[in-house]
Amino acid sequence: MGKAQQAFPLHFYGTITHGKLLIVMETNVIWWTGTSVTAIVLIRGALVGLLRKYPLFYAYISCVLLKEIVGLLSYQFARNFYEPFYWPSELATIVASYAVIIEIFRQSLRHSPGIARKAQKFLLAAFVLTLSYAATDLLHGQFASASRAIAELGRDLRYIEGALLLVMLWLFVRYRILLGRNLLGLIGGYSFWVGLNVVNLALWFLPGNGFSVFLRRLLPITYVATLTIWCLALWSSQPEPAQSAENAIERDYELLAAKTRAALARTSERLVRVMKP
Amino acid sequence: MTGLVPISVLGTLILVLGIRLVAQSRNRRQSPAVTVDDYANAREALDSVFVETAAIKRIFSVEDAEYVARSGTPDVQRLFFGERRKLALQWLRRTQQQIAQLIDFHLRLASYTYDPSPGFELMLTAKYLTFVVVSSIALALLWLLGPFKATRTISYIIRTAGNFCTTFSLRLERVNPTRLSSDGESLLH
Repeated sequence: MGKAQQAFPLHFYGTITHGKLLIVMETNVIWWTGTSVTAIVLIRGALVGLLRKYPLFYAYISCVLLKEIVGLLSYQFARNFYEPFYWPSELATIVASYAVIIEIFRQSLRHSPGIARKAQKFLLAAFVLTLSYAATDLLHGQFASASRAIAELGRDLRYIEGALLLVMLWLFVRYRILLGRNLLGLIGGYSFWVGLNVVNLALWFLPGNGFSVFLRRLLPITYVATLTIWCLALWSSQPEPAQSAENAIERDYELLAAKTRAALARTSERLVRVMKP
Repeated sequence: MTGLVPISVLGTLILVLGIRLVAQSRNRRQSPAVTVDDYANAREALDSVFVETAAIKRIFSVEDAEYVARSGTPDVQRLFFGERRKLALQWLRRTQQQIAQLIDFHLRLASYTYDPSPGFELMLTAKYLTFVVVSSIALALLWLLGPFKATRTISYIIRTAGNFCTTFSLRLERVNPTRLSSDGESLLH
């Protein structure tokens, strides 16, 4: 079992390397729980109609579920297939998780066209910058194996994902973007998972770091926690926060802006008078 | 090891902002949408900052302090200085709250604009942070020294608040300028 294989959730490192009953049980419990919760999220999404509302997110969840099921079957029935399957599938899952970023962007900024336009530029800049960094890193790296190369590519893709998510979170917090309970849960769970994953990956690639061993053990549990957050947040379809009618917002906003501008001209005059000695 | 620091900071910032977003959204669930009333409140807050800035000059009037010091008994002097100090502290705290509210309304409204300006936002944030720092120092000075000994700092705060409000007024002028209808323009008068 390579070092790289221990970096991601729901793996079998305990089962394969040590064979200790407790670790086997723990790993299996986490794996089965994760797979079950993933399936529940997907089923609930279909039942309450959220699957149609957040198609990209559920496409990602389907991808994860498919990977887990194929991984489980191959581990049980065709172990030779498991190892060559693991890393490419892991990479595919990370790439698929970009769909969640797009989904969050699409849903959150529907009512803020100006912010959406600016955010698009920010995100594109962040994407190009981090992608260039990742490409340079990959080109100059000397990899012992294909698994290691894929693992490092996966890590860099996570960093890019983290940078994009950070830009979006900053925009949401900065402009107090209104979010419904479903979307808030989706973003909350995703931030929790990506944030911990990025820190863990940074430590994991640092040789001889003892803390990373602890984090690696913790990571599958955090993934199950993320799935639980999503499961709870997306259990039922919650109404979107009330938005004023588009025309009313625009008309009233302009009206008030004009009024305020006039009031400001008056108060500016007052200020000058007050500030004079 | 050097590469570890920015990545760890990235991960930590994601977690912190994620928590902040959840907390912020929960707090705002009571008044989710920006309404005409919110906008009116922002204007009111802006007006009150200016009105109170004019009124506060009286609270800090050195002439009053000199008069009471000359002709008042020690009890009257103590009462006068105590009251003025309390008033000054209350005014400054209220000003801080109003400016914070103003920023909140500004940001909420900015998300609806068609052409928000990041450069202007940055300038506004810098000015706001300056105000927060300076007013906090002034608050501490007022509490320690009383209003009359801290007048120099206070006059600086008034100027800072003035600068900030001027910036805010410029921001409001940028709001959907091309979409102002002729009806809207007529309301200027």
